[in-house]
Amino acid sequence: MADHHYLDNEEKSVIIVMTSGPSTPHRCATPFYIGAILASMEADVSIFFTMEAVKLAQKGIAENLAAMDGGKTIIEFIRDAKAAGVKLYLCKPAMPGYQLSESDIIDEVDEIANASKMADLILACDKSMFF
Amino acid sequence: MECNGCEFRPELYYDDQYQIWARREEDGSLTVGMTDISQTVAGKILHVRVRRPGTLRPVGKPVATIESGKWAGPVPNVFDCEIEEANHDVLDDPNLLNIEPYEAWIARVRPSGSVEEALSCMVTGDIAQAGYCERTRREDIHCERGAR
Repeated sequence: MADHHYLDNEEKSVIIVMTSGPSTPHRCATPFYIGAILASMEADVSIFFTMEAVKLAQKGIAENLAAMDGGKTIIEFIRDAKAAGVKLYLCKPAMPGYQLSESDIIDEVDEIANASKMADLILACDKSMFF
Repeated sequence: MECNGCEFRPELYYDDQYQIWARREEDGSLTVGMTDISQTVAGKILHVRVRRPGTLRPVGKPVATIESGKWAGPVPNVFDCEIEEANHDVLDDPNLLNIEPYEAWIARVRPSGSVEEALSCMVTGDIAQAGYCERTRREDIHCERGAR
């Protein structure tokens, strides 16, 4: 039996900093997919939406966006990641630049947080990834 | 029996979301697999990884991870157990989960407590069938089996 079929990793913490948004839809599904895999491997995974990615957290955007024509919507990838245990943070300082208010935000977001929260997550985690 | 084309087997035990099934074995172990609903939601399964035999799995810690082209996530676990064996046929050919989800088991596990205690958090028979069918209707899930 090939060893790669077995999972025996230690628990780790991972932050995925998501900066891509609706202008590059092909970049918007994979980070959530990877987050879901990591979480299902028992990593403590946080995805932090900042820069243009905050638009993905606006109601009505991810529901109507897909990485591939006719493919699964980004909101479905976000929900899969949530179901696997990923925590979602939204960058509060980025919101005004995209005319976002708290009432515009999808329910899937766990916390609207300051940039210092992202800094804390980066400094405390085992691995960080940027998309 | 079926609901929306999703096969249901009343002799098996199911979690409350009907993602996994469990079957009692004569030696006191439990065999675990994915339901027809789960394989349909996942789509064509490309890769399965199981926790190494001997690994303890508390409630909530996945038995395995599944990757398809459009979905990635855990095979959840609802009772304390130890992994005894992975199904090597499925590890080598994950698409079997799409073709025959109730034959293509994923892992055999040994409950930490009694089998009855482990299965007490799962549903079976008529109650399970009602819940299983309700989920297929609520989420408009129409099962499709993979083909070679």
